[in-house]
Amino acid sequence: MAEVRQSKGDFWIGCGLLAFCGFAVWRTLSIKQGFSSSIAGPSFVPWLMIGLISILSAILIFQGISAGKEGGKDSVIHFPDKQTLLTIAAFVVLLVLYAAAFFPIGYIPATLVTFVIGLWLIGERKIWLLIGFPVVMTFAVHFAFTNFLSIWLP
Amino acid sequence: MMDTLSYLAPLLQFKVILVIALGTLGGLVIGALPGLTATMGVALLIPLTFGMTPVMGINMLIGIYIGGIYGGCVSAILLRTPGTPASAATVLDGYPMAQRGEAGKALGMATISSAIGGLFAAVVLATLAPQLANIALKFGASEYFALALFGLTIIATLSGNLLKGAISGLLGILIACVGADPISGVMRYTFGIQGFSSGFAFTPALIGLFALSEVFTQIERLAGNEPAIKLVKDRWPSRQDMRESRGALIRGSLIGTLIGIIPGTGSGTASWISYNEARRTSKTPEKFGTGFAPGIAATESANNAVCASALIPLLALGIPGDVVTAVLMGGLMIQGLAPGPMLFQTNPEVIVGIFGGTFMATIFMFIFGMALIPVFSKILMVPRRLLTMAIVIFCFIGAFAINLNPIDLYTMVGFGVLGWGMQKFGFSQAALCIALILGPMMEANLRRGMLQAGDDVFVFLSGPITLLFLALTILSLCWPSIARHLARKTKA
Repeated sequence: MAEVRQSKGDFWIGCGLLAFCGFAVWRTLSIKQGFSSSIAGPSFVPWLMIGLISILSAILIFQGISAGKEGGKDSVIHFPDKQTLLTIAAFVVLLVLYAAAFFPIGYIPATLVTFVIGLWLIGERKIWLLIGFPVVMTFAVHFAFTNFLSIWLP
Repeated sequence: MMDTLSYLAPLLQFKVILVIALGTLGGLVIGALPGLTATMGVALLIPLTFGMTPVMGINMLIGIYIGGIYGGCVSAILLRTPGTPASAATVLDGYPMAQRGEAGKALGMATISSAIGGLFAAVVLATLAPQLANIALKFGASEYFALALFGLTIIATLSGNLLKGAISGLLGILIACVGADPISGVMRYTFGIQGFSSGFAFTPALIGLFALSEVFTQIERLAGNEPAIKLVKDRWPSRQDMRESRGALIRGSLIGTLIGIIPGTGSGTASWISYNEARRTSKTPEKFGTGFAPGIAATESANNAVCASALIPLLALGIPGDVVTAVLMGGLMIQGLAPGPMLFQTNPEVIVGIFGGTFMATIFMFIFGMALIPVFSKILMVPRRLLTMAIVIFCFIGAFAINLNPIDLYTMVGFGVLGWGMQKFGFSQAALCIALILGPMMEANLRRGMLQAGDDVFVFLSGPITLLFLALTILSLCWPSIARHLARKTKA
């Protein structure tokens, strides 16, 4: 389990939020104003939010810097170790691929493959569970949703 | 009277009662498993309500909510790991009792207390919500704007860190701006993607924020060791335990009900306040934390009272009382119902059905809770890896089945990663979620009010109700500083 000082985390998160606000400003400039001449147009609330988030992010950065300088009782953020973090990253990639495959390939093949790979990624090594459980679960869920709940699955 | 009885007809069908019972049982199992929260259970199982009538679907979700909040006490008592944040305070006295070989008694006390707190709050819900809705019917644009602003601020304030809570809420409002502008129809932040023209779909976002983000947390936990599980004997607390717990039960039910009505607070806050109050007013405060039954009675009666009372602001004002009710709001919206005072006029059968369903779910919770005490330790032995992957599949089906739109799957994954990151860095998922709901309402009323008043912002400073909500908003923002100042003064 890796640890990051809260002040350091706040500083970087504040910077990230400011960068996000910069991106949001760029996108907000391209919002059309509509037909009304009122200041309460379509971009009114986005500008308000961007402004407020920027101010609060700057305060977060300032807090992070001053807490870091003071040292002393700074709390820590617990992060998973490198291997677990890699597993989570791989899992997210698997989920994005599953989302991409869900509609064009279909629920059953996409779910079977994702289920087996996912189980393996999170550490399941018993072959009968690795194969048997995904098959039973995938078909049982398909049967229940399509027959009992009348929900169409691709 | 006859009207009310006829409105109860949709609730009193065998199929509906069965679904409420199954929902409560499902919630209980979900809540019992550490890491799986009631919020996650409700978000995950919303898709099951598609083919159901509104009364059946919403009451199933309420059953999951009530069962889930109660179920959290199981692992709190047997594993020293609260199944839900609402049961964190139950660990203090529940686990020492289990170590003494009184796990069954502790679970019995938790079940009885949860039922008493839940039933008390259900009575308050049925009495207070219609009165509050009558007042809310008179609200205009400025009152609704001020109410939404108050709801958002109090959630940000109570999320632990005001700054991060506020950033989470503002981020939620900005995210809610994606899609067509509610007044002019102009597209905002859609990047030309047709699927985003009506904004991020609410339910996939919720499933991502509360269910998928928990999957990532589960993956982290899979790396750790599983704790040993205590064996469970007996189930009924002794007469002396009940006598000693009477005051804690009454206070817990009252505190839970009051806290549930305040938007954004939730069961976790209620159970801690109730526990501290029970200890403060006890003749034997030194016994708290050593396996003392009134400690369990205080926390469990309070956290289950919140379940019913958090429905009051949701139904009467359209403002969710806590995170789970925010997710429940998504369930109501899927059924084509807009929570708020108008629901009392347009769909009284749904309102009466929800009141009755809350009572039913609480009674089922008591029956299942007492009956399952001997097998609770077996529930906790479910293999975690299989459960984690099963949740992922349910997340995907749930996100897809709402609009049959593949874009919603990406939305869900995106919000899942965002939710996990927010959890890690101490930002409030609850504030973001409630901002997603209240953001459009706040924006529409703010801009409508300004357009009507010719861009005069002072229109929001008129009217007693608007001023009251604005004053409460300022008070909630200043409250952390006032509390710190008062604490320093008391110390000095």
